[in-house]
Amino acid sequence: MKKLIAAATLVLLTAGPFASAQESPDWAGDLSPISAADWNRETARHLLERAGFGGTPADIDALAKLSPQAAVRRLVYFEGAPAADLPAFDHSGIFDEGIDPFPPSRPATTALAEKNGEALGIKVKASGNRPQQAIVNQFFYWLRASRLETERVAVWWANRMVATPRPLQEKMALFWHGHFATSEEKVRDYRKMLQQVELFQREGLGNFRSLLINVAQDPAMLAFLDAGVNVKGSPNENFAREIMELFTMGVGQYSEQDIREAARAFTGWNFVGLTFHVDADKHDAGPKTFLGQTANYDGVGIIDRILEAPPTAGYISGKLYRFFVRDEISPELKAALGQRLREAHYDIAPLLETIFLSKDFYAEASRGTRIKSPVEFVVSTYRRLGQPALPGVPDFNRVTEALGQHLLFPPTVAGWTYGRSWITPSLLIERGNFALDLAFPDIEFIPEDRYPVYPTGAEIRAVHQRLRAGEDMISATRPVDEKAGDDMMAMSNKVDRAEAFNTRYASYRGWQMAIERVKPIVRNLPRLDLAQMVLIKELKTPLEVVDYFAARFLAVPLADETRRALAKTLEHELGSADVLASATVLEEPLRVLLHLMLSRPEYQLG
Amino acid sequence: MITRRKWLKYAGAGLVAGSLPLSRVAQAAAAEAARAGRILVVLELSGGNDGLNTIVPYGDDAYYKLRPTIGIKQKALRKLDEHWGFNPGLLGFERLWKNGELALMHGCGYEQPSFSHFTSMAYWHTATPNSGDEYGWYGRLADAIDSDNRPNLLVNIDTSQSLAVKSRHHTPVVFDDPERFQRRTLAQEHGLIEQVAAGARPNAALDYLNKVSVSAAEASALVREAWAKYKTPVDYGIAPLQLPKVAACINAGLPAQLYYLAFRNNAFDTHVQQPDLHQRLLSYMADAVHGFTRDMERLGQGDRVSVMVFSEFGRRAPENTNRGTDHGTANFMYFAGKGVKGGHYGKPLSLTALDEGDNLIHTTDFRRVYATAIDGWLRGNCATQVLKGEFESFPVFAA
Repeated sequence: MKKLIAAATLVLLTAGPFASAQESPDWAGDLSPISAADWNRETARHLLERAGFGGTPADIDALAKLSPQAAVRRLVYFEGAPAADLPAFDHSGIFDEGIDPFPPSRPATTALAEKNGEALGIKVKASGNRPQQAIVNQFFYWLRASRLETERVAVWWANRMVATPRPLQEKMALFWHGHFATSEEKVRDYRKMLQQVELFQREGLGNFRSLLINVAQDPAMLAFLDAGVNVKGSPNENFAREIMELFTMGVGQYSEQDIREAARAFTGWNFVGLTFHVDADKHDAGPKTFLGQTANYDGVGIIDRILEAPPTAGYISGKLYRFFVRDEISPELKAALGQRLREAHYDIAPLLETIFLSKDFYAEASRGTRIKSPVEFVVSTYRRLGQPALPGVPDFNRVTEALGQHLLFPPTVAGWTYGRSWITPSLLIERGNFALDLAFPDIEFIPEDRYPVYPTGAEIRAVHQRLRAGEDMISATRPVDEKAGDDMMAMSNKVDRAEAFNTRYASYRGWQMAIERVKPIVRNLPRLDLAQMVLIKELKTPLEVVDYFAARFLAVPLADETRRALAKTLEHELGSADVLASATVLEEPLRVLLHLMLSRPEYQLG
Repeated sequence: MITRRKWLKYAGAGLVAGSLPLSRVAQAAAAEAARAGRILVVLELSGGNDGLNTIVPYGDDAYYKLRPTIGIKQKALRKLDEHWGFNPGLLGFERLWKNGELALMHGCGYEQPSFSHFTSMAYWHTATPNSGDEYGWYGRLADAIDSDNRPNLLVNIDTSQSLAVKSRHHTPVVFDDPERFQRRTLAQEHGLIEQVAAGARPNAALDYLNKVSVSAAEASALVREAWAKYKTPVDYGIAPLQLPKVAACINAGLPAQLYYLAFRNNAFDTHVQQPDLHQRLLSYMADAVHGFTRDMERLGQGDRVSVMVFSEFGRRAPENTNRGTDHGTANFMYFAGKGVKGGHYGKPLSLTALDEGDNLIHTTDFRRVYATAIDGWLRGNCATQVLKGEFESFPVFAA
């Protein structure tokens, strides 16, 4: 393999489409704007890739025709861009009165039922078998239904990423979702998750102060970081710690005492339903000493003090820079960008305008060096292929989850780590497998929002089958994989056989109730016409086709030997070196080429 | 130091040992292989596990003063002795303890503790508290014990790569689902799809991707075959934490010696309504570790494999007002396995001498436990080099 690499570096490159990129001088670190003379198709393509999700050759041409200033303003301020005329989220209607506030666990739900004689809006049965069963069913119903509906929100959002004429709006929402990471896993209410995404879409390019206050008062965030239990006399530090460590300043810029004082200022901040609400009698209105100053701070006061603190602007602009430009940022550049953000009173758009116009952004070190995140990888693939909307197969959520970026389910409050951690041996293979399913549909596709799959799904299916075979509830809900011998059986597998309810049955019944009400995701496949793509360009030889695909899909040039090997395979599949003469048999060989091209390490870079 | 050729010999001997009656020579070779090829499995409990409610000092009144509502009542505990009791969820640990296969490492932490998950976890991953390192301690360990850069020495079973396994010279095999660790290709693509080539211009990101691509091609077949031929009667519980996948790889004679796994997604971050949730998490963890230990024994690999368990911090000593606990400091670490001399190690934490933030003051630098794994178990004789300082081992493993 080493030999192969060495050989490749010796070969002279002939890839035409990239010729101009090779001439780019060393612009790294230079924030002055790029001139019109340096503006071309390659710079336009780079801009569209980073400030959006890439596009078709026509999309790139449209930007290349503008001045660099106009191109950047089109993306950042939507000047000359059509309105994003896309439908609002279509609710399935799964919410029932009584579900909110949702107890933190099944034991908490049944404890509530014992105490009050009802929970989740359902009364304990007066007598008879398993008097709390309907309540526990409802508990599992909502867990399942909210999760499925949240995945529909993710599909709705991803479709906007694919279809919008204002891609930076969605890309910024994606950035803020990773920055203010909040997960349905804990929030357990798709309505709050949706509301938060809409906030990011609305204010993602607006003012950071306003955004930060709105996030701090956002029910999903309040639920996620335990705001409800942060009360006068017993402050909970979770939110206060994260707002400084992750959202604004970075670790090490404040003391543990600052965290405790800030937590006091946020006491009483809570939500009722989907609305922010301050519990006045739970708010600690006394004086707090925070970052060296003493005042009767409330939450907004703390936020303003944080925004005044020197590290904040640099932290935020540095993070934006690493998201849009490069993994590494020099202290000088970070300081300069922080200064820019501060001068703009924390307006985000002018900072991005500076970044996207800068020579640094177009420097060689910035181009084709960023590993696309899974969501960017999938969305930009559809955009490059000219798909007008998000296909339902392959399943967007399953693909991106397997690749490590499940929207609305970030792993922790720190969000996703961008960069090299997106790629492991198995994830690289997984990306290639997505490309195969794109080129040649997987006829074994199972919609997992309808059909309970392995591993928990197997339990649910088994309960279903046994009940329908007439087994009683206790027998029907025994574990599928029950191993013999009580002394060796794992504790967690010992069956829950409480008198008042049956948990396994509730989990099954909850699934039934959920799929009855959650609307299905439309399972249309991508429609590709690669032959038309090639014929319209009047490409004649396999090598021309390979170069066209490379220019359309890749941000870094292919080694010459790779180009030739791909062309050879294409020629072999066509049974001819004459592309035009092969017009009617072109499609399948081109699908093979697409799969090969999209599986390559080069395709992971943008 | 093991050369690649020697290694292949060892691996071969290991496979033979599992299937055929052994001659004396083969037995000696297998013994040498076992010694040289010892395996360490590191299990991370992310989120900060509450040590006080895991191994409960029920004999200390101070415990019940600190934990008036979430303190676990004596009668609910699985008692080890007159002072300590296991959380009721720890049936698996109790079984290991009774077999003398569980070591409790008391009071593990570091000076000037960080209360941030991410910072503290990074300290544990790099073994550099209040500092940093480009590479993880496990990655540095791989580099130290194998200068030949054997492929597939270091395995991280997770959805993304941990900082702990980041290595200068080794490419960790990172996968989550063995059945998906397979490049699906059409016949006409063979030979071409896995070829990589350096970029026309210097591009560090592309070089990295190419390296990972080569590793993927080599490792995926091994792992997939290992998983396909593995079947176990052992009960690992509801959430086996990737441990059956490790068992499959060991069963198949994969050359990996260093495995790294995590109980993911900050699961142990129990700020609110801790007791039920915490007990459930612990039962999953202990069921899995116990199942794995039994499975290793079943496969005749018990003497070769040890598990080390850690978390990035413990919880605040007093409970909070939400039946939970906030981020804290020192905590237990654990070794499990047939090679372990079960018992207590290190000095128990004081529940009365807390710091000004109501936190436990650590008694054992966690790097001493790493050193125990490196030199005591793996016989690496390189703890000082890997950990960049002198850390005394505990006698957890027979000399």
